Amino acid sequence: MDLMKYKWFYIGGFLAIMLLCAVLLFVNPYNDWGRKPGSALNLGIDFTGGTKIYFPVDRPVTSDEVAQVLKSIELPDFRYNPPQPNQYVDSSGVIRHQVLVYTRFLNDTEQEIVVDALEAKFGKAEQEQGLDITRVDPLIGAELLTNSTIAVLIAIALMLVYIWFRFELLSGFAAILALIHDSLVVMGAFALFGMEVNATMIAAILTVIGYSINNTIVVFDRIRENLKSKRRETTFSEVANDSTLQTFRRSLNTSITTVLAILVLFITVPNLRELLFALIVGLTAGTFSSLFLAGPIWAVIKDWRDKKRYTPKTANAVR
Amino acid sequence: MRHDLRWKGALILIAILIFALLISPVGTKIFKGAPIRQGLDLQGGIELLLTPDYRLGVSALSKLRDELLTKLNEANINVQASYLGTLDGDRYEGLRFSFANESDLQRARNLGVFPQQYQLNAFGETKRLNFKPEIKGNAIELTVLQSADDFPKDSLKRSLAIISNRINEASHGMAEADVRLDEGKNRIHVQLPGIKTLQEAKSLITATGRLTFRINNRIVLDGTYLQDVRVNFDQTRRSWVIAFQFKGDGAKQLAKITTENQKKQMAVYLDETLLMDPIIDEPIPNGEGIITLGGTPKSEVERYALLMKSGALPISLRVVQSTQVAPTLGDEIVKQSLVAGIVGIILVVAFMILFYGIPGMLADVALGCYAVFVLGLIALLRGVLTLPGVAGVVLGVGMAVDANVIIFERIKDEIRNGKRVRPAVQSGFERAFVTILDSNITTLIVAVVLLFLGSGPVQGFAMTLAISILVSMFTAIVVTRLLLEWWIDHDPDRYAKYFGVKEVVE
Repeated sequence: MDLMKYKWFYIGGFLAIMLLCAVLLFVNPYNDWGRKPGSALNLGIDFTGGTKIYFPVDRPVTSDEVAQVLKSIELPDFRYNPPQPNQYVDSSGVIRHQVLVYTRFLNDTEQEIVVDALEAKFGKAEQEQGLDITRVDPLIGAELLTNSTIAVLIAIALMLVYIWFRFELLSGFAAILALIHDSLVVMGAFALFGMEVNATMIAAILTVIGYSINNTIVVFDRIRENLKSKRRETTFSEVANDSTLQTFRRSLNTSITTVLAILVLFITVPNLRELLFALIVGLTAGTFSSLFLAGPIWAVIKDWRDKKRYTPKTANAVR
Repeated sequence: MRHDLRWKGALILIAILIFALLISPVGTKIFKGAPIRQGLDLQGGIELLLTPDYRLGVSALSKLRDELLTKLNEANINVQASYLGTLDGDRYEGLRFSFANESDLQRARNLGVFPQQYQLNAFGETKRLNFKPEIKGNAIELTVLQSADDFPKDSLKRSLAIISNRINEASHGMAEADVRLDEGKNRIHVQLPGIKTLQEAKSLITATGRLTFRINNRIVLDGTYLQDVRVNFDQTRRSWVIAFQFKGDGAKQLAKITTENQKKQMAVYLDETLLMDPIIDEPIPNGEGIITLGGTPKSEVERYALLMKSGALPISLRVVQSTQVAPTLGDEIVKQSLVAGIVGIILVVAFMILFYGIPGMLADVALGCYAVFVLGLIALLRGVLTLPGVAGVVLGVGMAVDANVIIFERIKDEIRNGKRVRPAVQSGFERAFVTILDSNITTLIVAVVLLFLGSGPVQGFAMTLAISILVSMFTAIVVTRLLLEWWIDHDPDRYAKYFGVKEVVE
């Protein structure tokens, strides 16, 4: 089977997907959340700073009803987003209602004022149902963003060095191209669906990176082994083709089991859905990119270099 | 049976037993608590990130306001002043000056009334202040912060010790509270499992301003050197009293003050709130003294003592990040994850048997070892299992399966290429080892970077991921191999068909 016949098709396809996701990150026609004007990515309070309150209510409420309460609160420069009522079924099968409120960063006293106002209107939460509050100072949020970026860059640099050491630099770049693709796909999906990007998301993207690199390395490991018996006339595309085919079953089996395990978590644990959604999208993207992007791009560049090196000589010999 | 297999098997069995014991009820006794500590997101509680609070209290701020207003009024500028932000404890962010028009605002700016640094004399001490004026329409919002240089360098370190002490006392060492200092960033990180409301948490930690002792409204001493505060019953006076003890320089200062100011009132303030104003009866030479409160009931005296004690932080702290999770929500998630874990494991086990038959079953046994090892190691390293951490473990299951799949595919390749079963298993493992090593080390790099650079939940995830990667490598390379070699030990070639190879190249 010749997978590499369509290598340009794969490479072109992946580059198109990457471009599309990058575009989604900046301009997303479907994201009308309007929380962060000028950005399609719905950054959570972990990054922007603010207060996130899950307030339990004993009946379904409307967003307007809650907004009325917030409107009556007098705090300097008090800003909030439209409250989002939702419901879930707890483990004893009871339907619970809650409302999600985002406001600017509140200090301790302000938090009490807001919660008291909500409790005055909707009653104090029962014991079985919990009040969930997260507050992040904008300064801390900005710091998390920088730290996360630094962490990703350091991780990528270290992986590049390791691959360079164990394989070759070109493999490293091909692998990193594949994982840039995967993280772009994850972020693009988040922009498309307007899902909140928070600190756990950084963990998800890094897992995807780790997993994708793992897959890619397995392919390059085969390539490294097959190169030992490579003859002059076999092209690098052929080597990549054989290696991809040989690792195909393993890649598919592993990805299926992992995605299966995550899918079960996705169905049973609603609170983890955003993280798991990122993982499912990312791991799927990672499986394809390590099979059809990293190998082909490596082969194309290798063959091109080879041609450049040998063509003049052959020409001389003929003359 | 081969000799080396026997002792290898015995060693692994012992390891499994030890780890299984660690996560069993026996572990609860060893660790004096749950073997695997659950993060706040799983068991509920409050997590706080605290930094020094450099904002000014109301009384000092009002003095500053008056000073600045006087200057502006002297220049005939019509201006109104109010506090900036919302009252938090007894502090505001700063002051807001509203001018009648733009030109007044410009004149005020040119006067230099809002320099970057300012010195304020209030209550017997000189405070160095940093001003950050911001123009909003016809008003200037002046953020006022005290200079960090005015506080001792080690004030956070000392606060940390005091807070830990206080938490231990309040919880009697029962709850697994966690207090850490991030020295580089000047922050204290507090985790209080089981605490439900912010008020409860704050009464333990931050409702604790600075304790000062004042004579004639001048600060003569602060609570930094206060070592001990206790409630005693005084036999001679037949009433409850507060016994206190100062140490070091504090004791010396106290001796000097009490000698010079006999029969004067020495007021005790927590931030800007008056707690009590006892009269100095006699000099206190050694730092140990008592405060008598007449016939005040015991509970009231205890409250004062607690406030004094809690006011002994050398610096006030403010919350910059807080996470408050209801315990019930955590319960819910644990239950859900448990169900997910069981279903997931059944799926994976079934998948392995379906694709790889008996070797797959052996890999499933190795997966069981993986689970025990991972949980045991998390318990042993006193790691904290968080929600993202659960995801890390699940991902590790994927990795462990992956290693086994790589190995089995390799062995199949070897048998297909004409090798007999025993050498095929051997070289299959050897060749798979390189693949597994390279692929897992790259992932391990990510985990380690996260462990050192990540924050909070990300770190929990990184820890379980790193443990999972290492254990999955071990179980696949050592445990699966042992089981496989054991199984084919006598007459290996009989088992060729179990590796799913239909045709063998001869």
